[in-house]
Amino acid sequence: MKSRKRATLYSYAWSGPSLLLIGLMVVFPILYTAYISLTNMNVYHWFDFTIVGLDNYIRALFVFDSGFLSALLATILWTAMSMLFQLVIAFVLASLLNIQKLRFRKLYKTVLMFPWAMPGYVSILLWKTGIFNSQFGLLNQWMEKLGLAAARWLASDVSAFICCSIVNLWLALPFMIMIMDGALQSIDRSYYESALLDGANWLERTRSITVPAIRPIIAPAVIITIFTTFKQFDVVYLLTQQAGAKTGSGFHTILTYAYENAFITNNYGYSSAISIIIFVLLIAFSARYQLREEGDR
Amino acid sequence: MKRCLSILLALAMLLALAACGGESGGDAAGADELVIWHDKEDAVIQALQDYLAQAAPELKITFEKKTSLTDSLKLVGNDPSAAPDLFIFAHDKIGVFAEMGILSPIGGLVDAAALEDMLPMTLDAATYKDTLYQLPLYFETLLFMYNQRYMLPDSVPATTGELLSYMQANTGRGRYGFVEQHSTAYYSAAWIHGFGGSIIDENGTPFPDAGAVKDALAYHLKFVRLMPGETEYNTVNTLFLEGKADATIGGPWMVPSAREAGIKLGIAPMPTVDATGMPLAPYSGVQGIHVLKFAAENKTEAVKELLAALADPAIGVSLALASGCAPANEKCYDDPQVAEDELVQAMRATAEIAVPMPNIPEMDVMWTVTGNLLTDVNLSGKDIDASFDAALAQANDLISAMK
Repeated sequence: MKSRKRATLYSYAWSGPSLLLIGLMVVFPILYTAYISLTNMNVYHWFDFTIVGLDNYIRALFVFDSGFLSALLATILWTAMSMLFQLVIAFVLASLLNIQKLRFRKLYKTVLMFPWAMPGYVSILLWKTGIFNSQFGLLNQWMEKLGLAAARWLASDVSAFICCSIVNLWLALPFMIMIMDGALQSIDRSYYESALLDGANWLERTRSITVPAIRPIIAPAVIITIFTTFKQFDVVYLLTQQAGAKTGSGFHTILTYAYENAFITNNYGYSSAISIIIFVLLIAFSARYQLREEGDR
Repeated sequence: MKRCLSILLALAMLLALAACGGESGGDAAGADELVIWHDKEDAVIQALQDYLAQAAPELKITFEKKTSLTDSLKLVGNDPSAAPDLFIFAHDKIGVFAEMGILSPIGGLVDAAALEDMLPMTLDAATYKDTLYQLPLYFETLLFMYNQRYMLPDSVPATTGELLSYMQANTGRGRYGFVEQHSTAYYSAAWIHGFGGSIIDENGTPFPDAGAVKDALAYHLKFVRLMPGETEYNTVNTLFLEGKADATIGGPWMVPSAREAGIKLGIAPMPTVDATGMPLAPYSGVQGIHVLKFAAENKTEAVKELLAALADPAIGVSLALASGCAPANEKCYDDPQVAEDELVQAMRATAEIAVPMPNIPEMDVMWTVTGNLLTDVNLSGKDIDASFDAALAQANDLISAMK
């Protein structure tokens, strides 16, 4: 009994530094944001702020107007579409990478990881100027060669949504391919051999063996990606909403919308309240998804 | 062994975190040691360092470049152990920092006689709520630039009507008569001012003359239709530098790259709006030195000595010669070399009509609001009245949300 207690103490002692770091880098900022959201910290009370209770939360509800609701719907659609395409494309590519006796497998894997190796900011701006720019972009050069009129790819809501989704896919696919590839390799070959002996075709093998086998392995990656996509800011902001480089598109995610309607005010109390509300929204989605996952098991 | 390694690694991580605190000016240094934050190019800082080594040799001055200077100041501005003693930045953040309570007025730190030769526009820019918070060093403003290979000096438009005619005659097949960042607030402010309007007044009222702003938007739209759909800096800059656009409105920062690209650059006065008789009046940004409260109270003599040295016209001349800055001190323009510099003289002339960027805190939100308004009208083709009403409502909401 004594040695068990000691072992528990030891394990906490050894994981202490890591827990401290996690506490400092993850938990503390969230708690501090929650604290600031209860104060009147703004330009006029930068260092002498006081607690104002839930005032900021009451004001924050006014930001959640029709504009916010349409941004929320757009964000849900954006997340769902991104996840669907990511899963399908990553599954197809990972399956192709797992073809027996495939030559240059390592080379393909390295090439597929390239987008991950580049800083996101650089990739996004390269897409913006190199591909979508109406004057110099590759797409309009192709259009010109085909005798078609040049287009402003990022100017309308729908085309901006599609362009942002493509860039987001390009940035996110390496992670999903890597996870999917690992999951596929973990499946015991003997299942497939038995299925082949039973006369199962590719579709049946995929439905009955591959998908159930990889599901628990890719689930954490899917959850991570859902939240990364849901709270996406860089892709949408840099492609369409950047100050001084707006394109005319009205496509907003909740974060770009909150940025334009709260964060630029330099009112940290108010902005923190909005951040906490968005954080609670995300946690609620996360809890719902995780509960469903546990229920499925 | 593994345990020792784990402990060492954990300690190393904690030390790394502790080291993030760093040390800057304030109480970390002696009374004659001053730390100055800036975000300027090397040529400007080199000129300042060379000059101060001669003019104030007993001061130990350290220049530290900060890429996100304003954000850093918001975090540590009242912490003498981490904040600088002074910083060099444009005047438009004076209101924010003054309201935050980290800026010291410089009235008591610099001799009033030393300010007499400053261009009035620069002193206006450096003043917030009747208090002077910045010693102006130089200023920047937008200029009308043209490529002399395509636009001959005698065909440079004197009025916006002439400019429109020129654009209509010279735009098409991948070429543009004139380009500008038409849907960004900093550039379009010139058109709004040309109609007698403004983005915000000194009391924080957004778009005080609605009619003037709407007239400017409607008139400007005729020009926007003859320009590319992209409004960002890179596209506009590249079109001009590649010789695909005959003229542009750009800042002095474009000049070195234009000269490098082999463009025979011409600089002309801003065209006058036919309907109002007023010229397009761009914003000006006055770069100067600001003093933090701790330094003003605890290193008063050193700060006074530094400001006295920087108020001398000699540094303005050095800056103008080193990097083409337009000095804030009027006397600098008497220098024969400065007098010969076409770029500096053009900015000096534009200073007569330029409007200093508002330095009140409310302007922070107006950049976005005005950008949205311009984007709606110019790029999304929305109705001017409806877009203006939406922008005004957003401005009022954001301004009230600041408090």
